[in-house]
Parts: sequence; C-alpha cells; structure tokens
Amino acid sequence: MAAPMELSCWGGDWGLPSLHPESLTVMAYAKFSGAPLTVNTINKSWRTPKGDLPVLVSEDIVISQPAKILNFLRKQKYNADYDLSAKQGADTLAYIALLEEKLLPALLHTFWIEAENYCSVTKPWFASRIAFPLSLYLPGKMSREALNRILLTKGGPPLYSLTEVEAQIYRDAKECLNLLSKRLGTSQFFFGDTPTTLDAFVFGFLAPIYKVCFPRVHLQEHLKQLPNLCRFCDDILTCYFRLTVSGHSPAGQDTADANLQKLTQLVNKESNLIEKMDDNLRKSPQHPPHKLTTLKLAAGGEESSPMSRLSP
Amino acid sequence: ATLCFQAFLQMCNLPIRVICRANAEYMSPSGKLPFIHVGNQVVSELGPIVQFVKAKGHSLSDGLDEVQKAEMKAYMELVNNMLLTAELYLQWCDDVTVEEITHPRYGSPYPWPLNRILSYQKQWEVRKKMKAIGWAGKTLEQVLEDVDQCCHALSQRLGTQPYFFNKQPTELDALVFGHLFTILTTQLITDELSEKVKNYSNLTAFCRRIEQQYFEGQERDSAAIAAPSSKRSLLR
Repeated sequence: MAAPMELSCWGGDWGLPSLHPESLTVMAYAKFSGAPLTVNTINKSWRTPKGDLPVLVSEDIVISQPAKILNFLRKQKYNADYDLSAKQGADTLAYIALLEEKLLPALLHTFWIEAENYCSVTKPWFASRIAFPLSLYLPGKMSREALNRILLTKGGPPLYSLTEVEAQIYRDAKECLNLLSKRLGTSQFFFGDTPTTLDAFVFGFLAPIYKVCFPRVHLQEHLKQLPNLCRFCDDILTCYFRLTVSGHSPAGQDTADANLQKLTQLVNKESNLIEKMDDNLRKSPQHPPHKLTTLKLAAGGEESSPMSRLSP
Repeated sequence: ATLCFQAFLQMCNLPIRVICRANAEYMSPSGKLPFIHVGNQVVSELGPIVQFVKAKGHSLSDGLDEVQKAEMKAYMELVNNMLLTAELYLQWCDDVTVEEITHPRYGSPYPWPLNRILSYQKQWEVRKKMKAIGWAGKTLEQVLEDVDQCCHALSQRLGTQPYFFNKQPTELDALVFGHLFTILTTQLITDELSEKVKNYSNLTAFCRRIEQQYFEGQERDSAAIAAPSSKRSLLR
C-alpha cells in the first residue's frame, strides 16, 4: 500500500489503454480494485522488454504473470473479489481456464499468425514501439512463440495442417464467445453490479478483438453479433478508463452532449407531431362515418409528412 | 483419461469392453487414448466421443439450461487445464518420478533400446509443450499449489450435492471422477498429490460414490486400463 507500484506494459491504440490482452487484464483489475499503479507503456527507449510483459515492480519485487500480479495486488489489500462467495470464486477460475483454452489461441492467431493482420497491423505497431534493432527481431519472435503454442496445444493429429487447426480454434473461440454471452445475460458484470477478477480477464481478452481494426475480422464480426459483450466492453472503457467509444477524452464528452441534444430534439419533434395528430382527431366531428375521420387523419398525415422528411 | 470416459459410458448405460493393447496409441486416429471402436467407426478423445454418443441419442447434459451448460464447459476446461497438465508435469517433468516410474512403465512393452528411446521422445514432447504454455518454469510446489486451487474450486462447486449439477451425473462428473480417481490410486514416489485431493472430503466421497454406483461388480481385470499401473480400489 505504501510502496509505489509500477506497471510496465504495452501501450494502446484504437481507443484501448493497451493492445496486449494480459496487460489490459492487469490494468482493468487495478482500476476495479482501486490500486494506485503507475503505468509505463513501452516506448522506443533502450529499456527493452525483457521476458514477458506485463511486469509489476514494487520496491524490489518484480512479478511478471497476470495471475501472479493479481495475487500480489490482493495481498496488498486491493481485492476486487471481496464480495464473491466461494462458489463464485470457483466459477471465476473455471471461466478463466475456458478463456485461456478456447479464446486465447484464436486471439493469438488473429494478432500474430494471420498473415495479412500480422504484416499490416501487428508487426508495424509493435515494431514502432521497440527500439531498433530489437524491433527487427522481437515481433518475429513473438509470432513464432504464438504459432508454437497453438501447434503444441491444439495441433496434434487428426488435425494435420495449419488450416484445419485454424478452423478448429476459430470454432472453439466462437463457441466460447457464445458461452460468455449466455453467462453474462443482461447483467452489467459477471457477478452482479461490481466488477471482479473475471470481468478483468474477460475484458482483457475481448477488448482487443472488439476494437483493433484488422483486415481479417471474422472473429470481430462474430463478437459484434453479441451485443451484451460489446456493451460490457464499452461500459468498462467509459466508466473505468474514461475513454468514450470513439476513444478521445474531452472531445468525446462533447460528442456525447451533441448526441444527447440531437436525441432531445428528435423526441420533441415526435411529441409535437403526436400533439398535432391529437388535435386533428379532436377537431374532426365524431358521428360521421369512419371515412371522414380517416380523411382528416390523412390531411393531418400530409401535414406531418414534410416534417418527418426533415427529421433524420 | 480412460477412466473418465469409462465412467461416462457407464453413466449413459452403454455396455463396453475394455481391451489393453500396447500399440493402442498408434491405433487411435488422433494418437491419443482412449478411443472407442464401434461397428466400423473409431472415435478418440473425450470431446468427440461425447458428441458421437450424443448423435446416437444418449446425452447426459440435456437437462441443463444454457447458463449451466456454459458453466459445465468452463469447469471441464479447468480440469483439463489444471489437473491434466499437473498429471503430465508430474509424470514427465519431475526427474525423480520420471526415472523411477514413468520410464519403466512407458517403455515396458518394448525391448531395449526401444523402450528408452520412445520414452525419451515422449518426455521431450511433453517438456516442449510445458514450455509453450509456461509451465516449464514451475516448481513442483507451485504445481501442487495449482492442483490444490483447482480441487478447492471443484470442492466449492460440488458442495454437498451428490453430483456437480445436482441430481444427474453429467460429462463433468465423469471427467472429474476419472482424474481424481487416478490421482488417488496411482502410486507415485510421494503421496503429496493424493494428499492434496484427500484434503477435500466431499471430493473423495464423490469418487467413492461413483465407483460404487457404476463400477461395482466389474472384475479387477477389466478395471485395469491401457497403461499398466498399480491401482488400489478406494474401498479397501
């Protein structure tokens, strides 16, 4: 609590504080639990990333994997899972295992192995944040490690070619997204109204898929068909990272206000229309047959249609 | 793993015959045990076998709603992720166990030097995989701690219910039973792994219950599975 804690991780883009799922998980957890972390994003300085990111440094202690970092934060009394029951804690572990087994391979593939994505987005982005000459070597190494991991864990027989493995991991990932969506349902977070470790992990894995603009995006398209998961990511971004959906802080607030104004104007217009139609109905005589009233309504309709053409 | 799906098939009330073959790994279409041979079809690994059985009209998880099915899948991944990897680690990455138990056992059907070559090859494969998923750097204590965490989670989820999803057994019960029973009854150098599991009394009661319900009446021979290893019944 007293010792300052510094987190080194990959930076962000496309409206995200970080592109790297594990870094994002740790940052989200820190926000949820209120831990005061100073975040250092890797830039082109010569303090090159050794080993895996994210890395937490507190006094002399250096911790490197997300699970261990989260454990450390909990021991420092920054615990986002305080209100969870034991069963919910068990569920958290299970769902995290599901994410790692089913979603992570596809995420790694989208970022590091899909040729178009890797060459046009991932490699330039990471290379621009690593000092030369490591920038020539490190992205390639990360890509090879990702491929290795996928082939070793998923690529045994009867899946003999990379395309079959790819098909299988994307099927698994889509199933995983569907399961997460069903589990989330309509609640704001996975365990009620306050975010927990599981929310941090899910956010860390989903947000890069959701936000990063890749040329090959079939996983993103699948995710966009699950509106509750998209809403979940957007909520966390707006509430905890103070970045709106468009990704800019103060300008975003203005856009939101402008949108609100437009919406109010529309609503006013509609209510005016309804009032006008009401008036017409009242003015029209009651006992003449149906047809007359319809005629009056039509007249009212004609009057209102130029207005409706104006409103978007 | 074989036990998992024997349990599963027993729960579905499907009769099976267990055969031990030395070249079982090569007969399997995916190189992994166990596999079943039905008519002229061969299916391996728990996932595809479950789907195969479902296609034939037997399913254990029909009574679950969507959220429960999601939970079941998540817990199955947890078991695969933690328990299976821990078992592999213990068998192939812990030097003492490897020397004394795994090498002799794995190479036993073959003559020298084939037994040593094949078991070294398998060990090298498993170590490569551990490295890729980040388990290579773990010490035995850390692995045991992970197993403890997993068992804790399973124990919490099971609570006082007879099965994980209350009245009916599902694939998850079969999977958990298979792994836990193997851990509890396989003799290793140290008993630490089985001690971890024994700390959770509802898990040991769960295993005993399934053993009594589904495996009683079978001969000891048919319960001995592909890899020859010494197993003791929980009832003794």
